[in-house]
Amino acid sequence: MIEIDSVNGAFALLTSNPEAWLYLLPGLLIGLVFGAMPGISITMAMAFALPATLYMDFLPAIVFLTAIYTGAGFGGSVPAVLMNIPGTSSAVATTFDGYPMARAGRHNEALGVALASSVIGCLGSYILLLFLIAPVSRVVLKLGPLEMFAVAVWGMLLLGSLAGSFIARGLLAGVFGVLLGTVGMNTAGFVRGTMDIPWLLDGVPHIPAMMGLLAASQLIGLINTTYLIEDESARKISFGKIIGGVKLALSYPTIIARGSAIGTIIGSIPGVGSSISNLLSYSETKRNAPDGDTFGQGNPKGVIAAEAANSSSEGGAMATMLALGIPGGGATAILLAAFAMHNIVGGPSFIANNKDIVYAVIFSNFAQAILLLFVGLGFVYVAGYVVRVPLRFLIPSVLVVSTFGAYAIEGSSSGPITLWIFAVLGWAMVRYGYPPAAAVVGLLLGSLLEGNLLRTNQISGGDFIGYAMERPVAVGVFALMLVSIALSAWSKRKRARAVKLRSEAS
Amino acid sequence: MAHNYNRRSALKLGAGGLAAATLASPSILRAQSGYPNRPINIVVPFDTGGYNDRLARAFAPFLQEALGQPLTIINRGGAGALLGHTFFLQQPDDGYTILCTSAAPYIPLNILTQNAQFSLDDYYMVNLPSQDYTLMATSAGSSVQSIDDVLAALKADPGSLSIGIQPASADLVNLSILLDANEIPLDSVRLVTYDGGGPTRNAVAGGVVDIGLVGGEGFLPLAEQIRPLLTFDNRQRDNWEGKIITDVLGADASFVNGSQRGWGLHASMQQSNPEAFQTLVAAIETASKNPAAIEALTNQQLATDWYGPEESNAMLRRTSQVMEQYIELLQGT
Repeated sequence: MIEIDSVNGAFALLTSNPEAWLYLLPGLLIGLVFGAMPGISITMAMAFALPATLYMDFLPAIVFLTAIYTGAGFGGSVPAVLMNIPGTSSAVATTFDGYPMARAGRHNEALGVALASSVIGCLGSYILLLFLIAPVSRVVLKLGPLEMFAVAVWGMLLLGSLAGSFIARGLLAGVFGVLLGTVGMNTAGFVRGTMDIPWLLDGVPHIPAMMGLLAASQLIGLINTTYLIEDESARKISFGKIIGGVKLALSYPTIIARGSAIGTIIGSIPGVGSSISNLLSYSETKRNAPDGDTFGQGNPKGVIAAEAANSSSEGGAMATMLALGIPGGGATAILLAAFAMHNIVGGPSFIANNKDIVYAVIFSNFAQAILLLFVGLGFVYVAGYVVRVPLRFLIPSVLVVSTFGAYAIEGSSSGPITLWIFAVLGWAMVRYGYPPAAAVVGLLLGSLLEGNLLRTNQISGGDFIGYAMERPVAVGVFALMLVSIALSAWSKRKRARAVKLRSEAS
Repeated sequence: MAHNYNRRSALKLGAGGLAAATLASPSILRAQSGYPNRPINIVVPFDTGGYNDRLARAFAPFLQEALGQPLTIINRGGAGALLGHTFFLQQPDDGYTILCTSAAPYIPLNILTQNAQFSLDDYYMVNLPSQDYTLMATSAGSSVQSIDDVLAALKADPGSLSIGIQPASADLVNLSILLDANEIPLDSVRLVTYDGGGPTRNAVAGGVVDIGLVGGEGFLPLAEQIRPLLTFDNRQRDNWEGKIITDVLGADASFVNGSQRGWGLHASMQQSNPEAFQTLVAAIETASKNPAAIEALTNQQLATDWYGPEESNAMLRRTSQVMEQYIELLQGT
């Protein structure tokens, strides 16, 4: 699996090219800052840096770009925790528990937890990548629509846990989200629900809609509050507490391992990636945790699950890109473009002929993850000062920045318009007890669900059962899902019975 | 409408207008004589990382050299290039905005199926170097060995093979022509629709669909994982094995080119800014023929051939006409 010759070659490459290391730190910083700005996606940060890499050698160029990738992957969780803004779709699940933690005055801890899980998730995914790059990539291509549909349904299970006290309202919000996700032209070329607005042909812009539903609606709801954290004594910025968060994350190795495994596998599927993996990891962790009921109210385990998964998706996406030359998302598409600029074409022949470069990229990512821990500590310490800003300054500034971000991400006024429509919608949903997060999950999964169900129908000619029999992986995913639900129901009952017994005994 | 102008205000207006005109005119004259005297924008109506984006970015340094002004690339993706094309036409036709796009099939598609507010005559194609073609392929491990196997299987039972394809595409038109000639009804074959060339190719390479029809250039990185069956062109392309369409349907076989990508301008520029128009066309020609550009682009698997405006516009019009014949196929399956 690992070839010693190539590993030696990789070390030779990395040590003979000190210039490559110079780009590590600026890359991480650019990534962190861009990633933390709502609306600036990882892809945009990398596209911005791409022209500069033209004038670098190949290895420094790739190290620089992947450092931005790593930095931006974590940067997105800072506004998610502090302001409930998922700057990218991969930070949605981070908001579920990170923001409640911040509001309860545990912002230092939450950021520390997020940082540690990100670093370990990223490291874990590259270790997996080191061993599995070839076999993973072969499996990924064989995944058909039924398998993808199974993954999407798996994500939908999250709706049950987001519903809060009214299951029916949660499901209704989720269905509303799925319907929104089907707006636009579907995979068979039919146009639905666009109201003749041309930009809706591509569907409702996801990120502005998410920012509106989750963040802007929250901020509008906070208008009568003076500070993000009401208790003045809790508004401290404490390095010790950030370290405490890091340690807390380390005490849940199973959650991190599960998150990294889900993240790497889902991340390696082209077109799915980190936006789904963080949701899956969150919902699995919640279902399996003994204190699952407190998820969504500021349970650090939720942050760990989400962050471990979204950071490890990077390694998965890199595996697909290196092994097959297929970009799983915008970021890897830019990396491929950078490869092309240096006259290197990704794909199976690239790995076969350039094992030393592949290993050099992987090793430099180990270094990035470790460096991210230290750079990130400083970054979240500074970012934490947001909680000291009075809300009468913070709310308008964040809304303005979000509006700019929404414009930047769509390149037209469709972004801000979507943001504001969904902000009002999100506020109304909160006001009447419907969870906006469920609508966000539905929106993210809607087109994945619909497109793959439709393709399953097309491939099977309508014979779903017969087709499913030929697709053991899909059946396996569905079976796993059922077992997982059954197990969690059983353990819940057991716990309920234990509580009952205890109360009877006392 | 009431006319409340008195002599005084009329005089004021006139004087003001005159003053404005005298002040403004020298600068307008200067601007016209010195074209180009500020940076020029390249509109790419697709997101970063696609073929057009890569083409624009790779070609820009050489075009920049020929024009003597820096170039800025603006990505305006979305709605099958409709948004980007509309945005381009909304910019002034002063030569400071040029277009790098997949002229075919997207401009005709915008017009035929998306009710676009422009026509083909609004565009002037300077050069369309990239002429993509439809390639029918199967996964490397598939039991389908050749196009003859495909046709035999489909004739025996049209539903026997699943076919990966993009809806409303040139590939679908080509499939329809092939099936028509072999008397296989299009509505009884098993079409599996994908949202882009990338996902379609992945499905072919992974054996998720039995065969797929999609742009051939994008298959190059996956060459080892697929078996090419049929190239829809009248010559062998990119060293793909398998037959070409004229082997199967005879020398006068009709087919549609896939994407025709390259450089376009506002057609109105020919009258409104003839000088800038000439400068731009000449600069694109110079850059396209620059040996350094040809080497750099060839290395990145990007096309640089110079066909010139006359042939490029004619090619686009020809494609557009065939597409018009198959309009019901393009409007959705």
